[in-house]
Amino acid sequence: MHMQNLEIGKGIRLKVLPTKKFKTVTISFCFHRDLDEDYTYNALIPAVLKRGCEGFETLKDIEKHMESLYGALFDVGVQKKGERQLLRFSMEVVNDDYLAKQGILAQAFYFLNRVINRPVLEDGGFKKDYVAQEKENMKNRIRSLVNDKVQYSLERCAQEMCKGEKYSRYVFGDIEELDGLDSSKLYNVYREIIQSSPLDVFVVGDVDPEKVRLLLERSLSMDRKGITAIPKTIYRKLQVVPKTVEEEMDVNQGKLVMGFRTNINAADEEYFPLVVYGSVLGGGPHSKLFMNVREKASLAYYAFARLEKFKGLMFVGAGIDFEKYDQTVNIIMEQLEAMAKGQITPQEFEGAINALVTSLKGSMDQPSQLIDYYLGNSVMDSDLTLEELIDRIKGVTVDQVVEVSRKLKLDTVYFLRNRKRGYVVHEKGN
Amino acid sequence: MRREIKNDVLNERLIHSKLKNGLNVYVLPKKDYQKQFAIYATNYGSNDNQFVIPGQNEPTKMPEGIAHFLEHKLFEQEEGNVFDAFSKLGASPNAFTSFNTTAYHFTSTGNFYECLDVLLNFVGAPYFTDQTVEKEKGIITQEIVMYQDDPNWRVFFNLLKGLYHNHPVKKDIAGTVESIQRITKDMLYTCYETFYHPSNMVLFVAGDVDADRVIEQVERYFDGKGISKQGQIKKMYPHEPPEVAAPVLKDKLPVPRPLFMLGFKDIEVGQRGQALLDKMILNDIMLDMLVGQSSDLYSKMYEEGLIDLTFSAGYTGEEDYGHIMMGGESPNPEKVVDLVYQEIERLKQDPWDAEYFSRIKKKKIGEYIKMFNSLENIGVQFVSWVFKDIGLFDYIERLMQINYEQLKSHFNRFFENSQSSVSIILPN
Repeated sequence: MHMQNLEIGKGIRLKVLPTKKFKTVTISFCFHRDLDEDYTYNALIPAVLKRGCEGFETLKDIEKHMESLYGALFDVGVQKKGERQLLRFSMEVVNDDYLAKQGILAQAFYFLNRVINRPVLEDGGFKKDYVAQEKENMKNRIRSLVNDKVQYSLERCAQEMCKGEKYSRYVFGDIEELDGLDSSKLYNVYREIIQSSPLDVFVVGDVDPEKVRLLLERSLSMDRKGITAIPKTIYRKLQVVPKTVEEEMDVNQGKLVMGFRTNINAADEEYFPLVVYGSVLGGGPHSKLFMNVREKASLAYYAFARLEKFKGLMFVGAGIDFEKYDQTVNIIMEQLEAMAKGQITPQEFEGAINALVTSLKGSMDQPSQLIDYYLGNSVMDSDLTLEELIDRIKGVTVDQVVEVSRKLKLDTVYFLRNRKRGYVVHEKGN
Repeated sequence: MRREIKNDVLNERLIHSKLKNGLNVYVLPKKDYQKQFAIYATNYGSNDNQFVIPGQNEPTKMPEGIAHFLEHKLFEQEEGNVFDAFSKLGASPNAFTSFNTTAYHFTSTGNFYECLDVLLNFVGAPYFTDQTVEKEKGIITQEIVMYQDDPNWRVFFNLLKGLYHNHPVKKDIAGTVESIQRITKDMLYTCYETFYHPSNMVLFVAGDVDADRVIEQVERYFDGKGISKQGQIKKMYPHEPPEVAAPVLKDKLPVPRPLFMLGFKDIEVGQRGQALLDKMILNDIMLDMLVGQSSDLYSKMYEEGLIDLTFSAGYTGEEDYGHIMMGGESPNPEKVVDLVYQEIERLKQDPWDAEYFSRIKKKKIGEYIKMFNSLENIGVQFVSWVFKDIGLFDYIERLMQINYEQLKSHFNRFFENSQSSVSIILPN
């Protein structure tokens, strides 16, 4: 089982993974964009296109069509990989074999083409109502990040840490930009994407790659011009002065996030030991953070370390009592120091490698995770297969992990805490 | 006692064996999958706080949150943490406690049979001390506090409090910071001895595994354990009136805009097996037709900016309680609630057409087939059905049978009798 690359030309790369094990076929069109000043516009476009297209002009028309295709799943999305924004249009359909009805796969390709290339237009631009409504929805979505305190604290730490860098831009855009949205510019950005943004098309399921290529070529009616080269993510920052940021909110639990620069991205040789480093530190129940912050000190329910492999960042997170801030930061820093001194037990090391291998192998059983990995490869211009990545991780030594720890630099400590004013801590006597 | 259950639409088969001690073992072979998934569950959740221990007369009452506490503590063994054993084998274990079940599971990509032994061993061998029980209180306190800051969790539990007067489903699964302080190691042993008998449990395995070998290994594990038969456990739930406890519950949190959930209490409860499954399917289809993305009401509310993609609806059906819930973020929850009521009244006069029904039915068939892509989803779904006497393939078989007339009469009956409650979280 491996991903086959088929060149379509004009900056379109078809990547097909034929496998009989899934009962569905997943198709994902991903446009690559630089995370530049148009990022708010980029983020809004999939949401507007999702509203309707030629032949299926409303949400209801689209949904009815999906229902008649046995609950086909149509979705759009925006994500960030390093300083790159990916605009996704995808469908998951039940394999033709399982249902009496044939030709669902072909219908999916023709439908996605309409969504991408035949939007509902009005006065030479997108339909105004759709833009206005999706603009509001996007603003709400940006504001609602705060409802998920773990995600919110991670995002805030990244923003503070990368101030002045493209990476600080939030994937769904900026509220002020949305308020002043120029709808003719929105349409122009859309035209630019269709004409010149690199496009990956992923297909995973029980399919014949050559037939898929024909289907894609026949269904796609895109007017392509010269393809834009996208700048690479800047991932090195050696001069770091650590800073602390505290934010107050009416919360019951403090959210601690420590942001580190790894100065290593997924294309570096040191990436493989870094992945193991992250897992030993905070990649599950085998890890130092789980054992020391949670099990031994009883300070937190969750404590983890997470890598961003495109921008070269590592985040350590824990949900703690407000007064346990100093104690928790100390324990976390002690774990990092221990690793730098080579204090890694064979159990921790083996546990980390095993957990990574299981999780990577496991991603081969999930179409969305497979696609996400290979999309990451596309961003990095890498052709390392999942199998090869697993082999590289198995080959990492403790010395390499210790070596890699020297490159990590603490950049920003972020703490979301309760409001100090008018709040009495541990009032005695009642 | 081994039987094979097949489904031709899915092209899947399930092998079932009931052991002498009463444990039910199920294996779903999935060729070509890298992963193996095993889930070992007991018919015991946060709702089961009052019960009569087999052989006793008087009911026992436990502090809220004890089932969840027990789930945490089983991971600690006399010889150390069970995570280490799984970690050596490259498997990732986890567990969850719901209102009605507690389940322990692992995902492996090798060493499956060794992992299965670890799972059986640790769930089979509780080890609690005063010290380890005390230590866990700090961790679980942080878990409870974390959920207090989650507005989606809060709007959900507030709605349960609005729907139910007495039923324990209105209580937080993890208990409260106060209630867990009362938990002792002896209480944990009592709950363990009562609810973790093999006859009250089920083991489900999915992956590229040998079903015979799995079953033989489990049989061997229990050989010589000398587990005696257990009598009936009597779970006690307080009387729950059909009326809701409060029609509206409002709360304030640091949210950018209001969140709401509207609930309808199902008062025709008491079913298990096929009757319960039919009701679940009818409710699922009914909700899609009422407020799903292709419904008139959804389009109207979406276009007016009253709802967005955070909006969703679902039905929860248990033997002793059931409810419909729908909600999301909205600038004007009261308006949404009014529109839903109006739409229900309108549909009583002017029902949907049959074509809509058959389209939603098709959609449900596709969704069910899709579930079989993910071993974890299959396993978790299996466990949620098995203790209600619903088989893994029953869903699609019953779904194919259900007709439009049934749906129409179900709709009228449900909304004729059901009372509703709405929970709203406002920005502070």
